[in-house]
Amino acid sequence: MADLHLDNVSKSFGTLEVIRNVCLDVAHGEFIVFVGPSGCGKSTLLRLITGLESVTGGRIFIGGVDVTQVRPSDRRVAMVFQSYALFPHLTVAENIGFGLRLAKRPAAVIRQRVDAVARTLRIKDLLDRKPGQLSGGQRQRVAIGRSIIRSPEVFLFDEPLSNLDAALRVLMRLEITRLHNRLQATMIFVTHDQTEAMTLADRIYVFNQGRIEQSGTPMDLYNSPSNRFVAGFIGSPAMNFLPGKVEQTGDHMMLKIGSTRLRLDQSFTSVSHREISVGIRPEHLRVVESSAGHVRAEVEIIEELGAEVIAYLQIEGISDPITIRLPPQRHVVPGQQVGVRFASEHFHLFGSNGTRLC
Amino acid sequence: MERSALYWRVVLLAAPVTVFAVLVIWPLFSSFFYSFTNWNGFNPEYDFVGLENFAKIGSDRLFIGAIINTTIWMVAAILLPTLLGLALALLLDSKVPGGPIFKTLFYLPICLSAVVVGQIWIWIYQADWGLLNTVIRAVSGSSFNYAWLAKPDTSLGSVIVAWSWQQTGLSMVIFLAGLTSIPNDLLEVCEIEGASTWQRIRIVLIPLLTPATVVVVALSVINSLKGFDILYIMTGGGPFHSSDTLAMHMYNESFKKYLMGYGSAISVVLFLIALTIIRIYFRNLKKVDEIYG
Repeated sequence: MADLHLDNVSKSFGTLEVIRNVCLDVAHGEFIVFVGPSGCGKSTLLRLITGLESVTGGRIFIGGVDVTQVRPSDRRVAMVFQSYALFPHLTVAENIGFGLRLAKRPAAVIRQRVDAVARTLRIKDLLDRKPGQLSGGQRQRVAIGRSIIRSPEVFLFDEPLSNLDAALRVLMRLEITRLHNRLQATMIFVTHDQTEAMTLADRIYVFNQGRIEQSGTPMDLYNSPSNRFVAGFIGSPAMNFLPGKVEQTGDHMMLKIGSTRLRLDQSFTSVSHREISVGIRPEHLRVVESSAGHVRAEVEIIEELGAEVIAYLQIEGISDPITIRLPPQRHVVPGQQVGVRFASEHFHLFGSNGTRLC
Repeated sequence: MERSALYWRVVLLAAPVTVFAVLVIWPLFSSFFYSFTNWNGFNPEYDFVGLENFAKIGSDRLFIGAIINTTIWMVAAILLPTLLGLALALLLDSKVPGGPIFKTLFYLPICLSAVVVGQIWIWIYQADWGLLNTVIRAVSGSSFNYAWLAKPDTSLGSVIVAWSWQQTGLSMVIFLAGLTSIPNDLLEVCEIEGASTWQRIRIVLIPLLTPATVVVVALSVINSLKGFDILYIMTGGGPFHSSDTLAMHMYNESFKKYLMGYGSAISVVLFLIALTIIRIYFRNLKKVDEIYG
């Protein structure tokens, strides 16, 4: 298995630039996730790596070899499509062995390899069926089977779980993780679902408008987002953003949120007198008695998820509701007046242009 | 159901049902009825002859010839436009320069009536100054003046070529629509897996065009069964019945020899053949639906 290196890759469709000077490295055996909103260019980048689209600028290296001008079939990559892309007229066995059949490998070899892959993916009893007779999860396994049978250098997954229901998506996530552990292959997985990104990735690249916003391990991105976009994109429920202002009062820096002033520690000195955006994750907010909070709020909606409760609260003087993650035993009801306390050590401060201040 | 709604349903359905009954059901049952008579088409007096007309069919040398010709006509009239239409669709789908112009040109003949097509090809086949012989003479340098439509060996084949020329455009358009409906992902799998052009056509495109092929074949079957007018214009079934099909034979017996009872019996046989083909078609359509949805 090989490493992948993108050197200043860009792609335009006419005057529309969809990938802008992307540089990235994927180490041998790494599981990389490209995540970002729809239209951010992540799937296009995957297609550039595959060779299904040609780059406008830059170079692509797989295993140290420049494959920028190489045909897709000679790049030793395999791709699993969102639609599964199974041939409806071929059986499961024929779909899995499709690449070997094209390569004119002997029928006995194809059968042997297909059997081995089917055992790995636990679909041996489905080999004689047509794709139309399979469930979504089974089709997904077949599509993965077709990709692994050729032992490619790099596996590329283009939103492969998007068409599955929530429960099956969790199961398939585990399957893909197991597969990666077993094959120790280089895998690149594209998704717009940050939960998939967090649970699958060794490292995540967050894309926005054709650019890499940030890369790092899932916890790096969660704990230290480099800008407001990443902070808002990574994490579910999403980070809360409150309008705030940093002011200097004597020796101390104070953060004003609504009518409340909070004392900040010394690290916030560089942001005096700025209109800022204060990011705080739902688990770093506490619901207390209305008189004991930093701010007063009214409970608007409650989502009881069993292991936790997600509460949406409306703070006085702030238009957007905030989200709080609560333990299940913390009982609040819609319409209740409560106080909210902030854990200021978990604040993420962003400037008006979205860049992280500290 | 509200009374007025029911009333309007009955009224609105009555018109098409009446037209269908008068123009299709009634002539159909009339044919069945007259096939058991010796009616000549004019005289109100006729006798029931039982199965005599059908018994006569078995010993009718011209009927046997017409069956053979109909089989050749149908097989060729299905295969040629289908294969040529598929080849043109694959070619034009590969973004050849001037594609839209070629598509229009190839589709144009289907817009012409069979009479016009027949007359064009009569001129092309004309022995002395027809385009075909003129080209052959120019290429070979000989004084070639073969009468394509006047020779029993080539009359039916010549009409089949004219028919295919007209029908290929329709097949091509249906195959082009079929190619457009093939998901791009599947073609990209071919690209990633390294399929050659021939492998892509053979293993992927042609099977995935099955739904389109079913439509093309169905239309070809229906059109070829109805294929009377172009034969009538170009050869009239001749020379020496060499291009007589069942439809042509039925016409000759009914309207030239005034044997309406016997002609009706031939039409009943033609109806049963059509019914069998349509039954086979629908059985296969079900299988296609199961695979391709």
